[in-house]
Amino acid sequence: MSLSRSSAANSAKDTIDIVTGLVLLVLSLVLAFYLIPNYIGEPPILQNPMMSPRWLPNIVSWLMLAFALLLVAQGVLTKTAKEGDERKLVKGPVRRFLVMIAGILVYVFFFEMLGAILSGVLATVLLFLAHPVRTWWAYGFAIALPVGVTLLFVNVMNVPLPLMPF
Amino acid sequence: MNKLLSTACLALGGTAVFLSVGVTTASADWPTKDVHLVVPYAPGGTTDVLSRRVADLLQDALGANVIVENRPGAGSTVGTGRLARGGRDADHTLLMASPGHTIGAAIYPDLPYDPVEDFVFIQNVIDIPNVMVVPTSSPYQSVEEFIEAAREENMAFSHSGVGSSIHMSGELFKTLTGSNMTAVPFAGSGAALPALLGGDVDVSFENMPTVYSHIQSGDLRALAVTSQERSPYLPDVPTLSEIGVDNLDQFVTTAWFGLIAHNSFPEEGYDAMQAALDEVMEREEFLDFAEQLGAEPGQVEGEAFKQFVIDDLARWQEVAEQAGIRQ
Amino acid sequence: MDNLAEVLQLFLSIDNFIAIALGVVIGVTVGSIPGLTATMAVALALPFTFSMQPVAAILLLVGIYKGGMYGGSITAILIRTPGSPASACTLLDGYPMAQQGHAKKALKTALFSSVIADFISNIALIFFAAYLAKIALNFGAPEFFWLICFSLTIIISLSSGSMVKGLLAAFMGIMLSLVGLDSVFGSQRFTFGNYNLMDSISFIPLLIGLFAIPEIMEFYRKKAMPHLKAKASGVGMTLVELKRCMKSIVRGSLIGVIIGAIPGTGATAAAFISYSEARRRSPNKENFGKGEVEGVAAAEAGNNGVAGATLIPLLSLGIPGDVITAIILGAFMVHGLTPGPIMFQENLSLIYALFLGIMLSSVILLVVGNAAIKYFSLIADIPKSILFPIVLMFCVYGAYAVNNTTFDIWVMLAFGVVGYVFNRTGIPAAPFLIGFILGPMFEDNLRRSLLIGNGDLSIFVRGPITWFFIVITFGSIALALYRFFQSRKEKTGSSPDNQSA
Repeated sequence: MSLSRSSAANSAKDTIDIVTGLVLLVLSLVLAFYLIPNYIGEPPILQNPMMSPRWLPNIVSWLMLAFALLLVAQGVLTKTAKEGDERKLVKGPVRRFLVMIAGILVYVFFFEMLGAILSGVLATVLLFLAHPVRTWWAYGFAIALPVGVTLLFVNVMNVPLPLMPF
Repeated sequence: MNKLLSTACLALGGTAVFLSVGVTTASADWPTKDVHLVVPYAPGGTTDVLSRRVADLLQDALGANVIVENRPGAGSTVGTGRLARGGRDADHTLLMASPGHTIGAAIYPDLPYDPVEDFVFIQNVIDIPNVMVVPTSSPYQSVEEFIEAAREENMAFSHSGVGSSIHMSGELFKTLTGSNMTAVPFAGSGAALPALLGGDVDVSFENMPTVYSHIQSGDLRALAVTSQERSPYLPDVPTLSEIGVDNLDQFVTTAWFGLIAHNSFPEEGYDAMQAALDEVMEREEFLDFAEQLGAEPGQVEGEAFKQFVIDDLARWQEVAEQAGIRQ
Repeated sequence: MDNLAEVLQLFLSIDNFIAIALGVVIGVTVGSIPGLTATMAVALALPFTFSMQPVAAILLLVGIYKGGMYGGSITAILIRTPGSPASACTLLDGYPMAQQGHAKKALKTALFSSVIADFISNIALIFFAAYLAKIALNFGAPEFFWLICFSLTIIISLSSGSMVKGLLAAFMGIMLSLVGLDSVFGSQRFTFGNYNLMDSISFIPLLIGLFAIPEIMEFYRKKAMPHLKAKASGVGMTLVELKRCMKSIVRGSLIGVIIGAIPGTGATAAAFISYSEARRRSPNKENFGKGEVEGVAAAEAGNNGVAGATLIPLLSLGIPGDVITAIILGAFMVHGLTPGPIMFQENLSLIYALFLGIMLSSVILLVVGNAAIKYFSLIADIPKSILFPIVLMFCVYGAYAVNNTTFDIWVMLAFGVVGYVFNRTGIPAAPFLIGFILGPMFEDNLRRSLLIGNGDLSIFVRGPITWFFIVITFGSIALALYRFFQSRKEKTGSSPDNQSA
């Protein structure tokens, strides 16, 4: 299997692990020194330190810190597995990825505004175009399914999805 | 792609027409379309089951569809906040309010709405008393004995979650009697029950339907009910207020359920709803249902309901303050 | 004999058969749609049962429950979208199997092990309810605490590849599970004043995001691959395979029964414990997570073993173990019946009629499941460029439907990105999920024990159940450490680069 990024593959370390470990290291430091003291309230009276809402988050953040360090160490010491590394993708065209992102964004931004049907149709068509579906009748699904599934949710399952923009 | 989109829009236009000629059966001024009943809790809870039953009966009385919408989150404040925002369906949207409405307002900071002024209070539909229960193995036979013991040693009471009426009742009891009590939280009444039955906790102020069968079977002993009057289902069990120890005469709470709507709710809607609810609350099915819950039909409507909510809110605010629950 | 006639009279009604069949069909369908859970379906069906005969009413709800338990595995296997939290474990091996063209085999394995587990669970319900209920009542906060500790040790065995990464994933899961209001004091944790976060992060959007979304993203990121057609649905499960998995299925069922009988633990934990046990004992340990039949069987057995057993505390004690049984309890009460010891005295024939119906539901599940597989396995033949946009649509609708809020679509997307990053960095998602589920249980039971014990730590060793779980917890950790160093030794002994990190 050919890798698109093979620069680090030859040296005796696992770059991905090192980077992951460093990111998690920073994350755990942020948790321990910023988020936990600032975003978890502590009640004035505590019979036992283990009762504190901060107790478990503190412990977990320190454990994260320790294991992030271990991961960095492990990354420095072990070699990257060259064959069959599931972490790497053979990348396709960027445009396709961007159109997919656009499709997802349609959902998150317009779901309530446009309603389930319109946003469903729009996003599905976008995704069909992204990884081009060339069978024309398949586009019928892009319309029929959002309509059908929405009506199923709303009328049969009693789940009030937003229907229409008006 | 443009072509495709326009085809899509055409198809959608068609659906919209189809949808808009849906159900419009009512002849009066209100309702003119489907009525939505917002349940600010997840499907399956007491509020949800009850709301679905009421919605079912309201449907006949109103002659319109009543659609139940669950909007759970943060006590009941997420769903209530949504109703408070209003919007185009506000004139046909109701909400099943419960103690979560007032307790939520008492314990959550900076609510985006005013629990009293932003709403129209239609009617209190059902009242469920809480029961003060101890395990049968417990040495305490009466509330007096319990209070006496609770002044000496620490008692653990179970509840179904911070801010539940069960939790707040316990805290209220603690403040009014000056007992030593520790709140032990559980994820819902179902999870709390084994701890009570097994004797891990000393007492609980559970909702009547949860513990009624266990009282009947003799696994739990009811010391008192929290309602104003004795419950017809437990006629031998005194109310906390009649016991008359310390400040307990102020202890009257129920898990109440009532319909409220957004401020902009129309006058004719209010009248139609009251008429429909009066009809529903006299139906055999409704009374049967209330009996199964060990509940009683609500007493207050309109202004009186509003006053009831104001009093309830004031009480919980005080309890929350004393118990240090308000963050 | 009088009783038998009465039981049969209550049971042998066409209504009951229709109710069970309808229930199972609804359950399988709803369970297989991401975001629609069996809980929702049971809640929605409840009002319809008010006007039915009590036996039929309860059987309808039980049918939905059982169908839903199985239905969740269908989409987990086919499109990596767990329909219910419990089927997240089925996905670990089920989806790879489907990718290798064994969709039908995976589905059949899931069905057979579900039905067998269901059957075992029913037997336990009928014959051992009284004993198991006693255990359930003795299961207080300290006992729970140790059970959770033991369950947490399975993270180690689930971290395929790197133990460090697995534990890191679990810590992140625990951390995120703490978002929301603290259960004792009600203080806010990492809510940043956002009301949507106060009830903690919703589970279904997280689940869909973590598993389904990265798969979709990767498909659009990857170089296009030609669609493998034809054999996709493949053949069913062979008798030999069933025999091979039988031990795991029975073990999983028993784990499910015990977990199910204890109120408040849930099918997800049972599935994962069963899965990790099967893997620990399997000769092809390496194949787990890459499409191992036994993995699917163990996960589904653990998951469905819970279904009948959750009715044990409900029927014998009147204690609902989860939301679904709470709703079923409601259905009993609506018909003027109160589950518990009294019902066994006063309505014994009704209970036996129910038992017959519940047994029948296993058979119906087999029939309905088989029919469903026939059509559902066709999904594996749909080209991904058509399938994935539709899956995404279901995911979005499902995420929204849980709480009716767009915030949950955001949650789903956010965890989609997390899942994508996990895949790119080799961090396993399963330990993350376990951390997320067990984190709050760990903390709650720890604090509950401290509250109940009033500061006295001896509560943690108060009885034989705690001792038992303490022993197996530490045993499990010791065993994992032993294996870890053993494999280290082997690694350094042989050539260093034939093992992947």
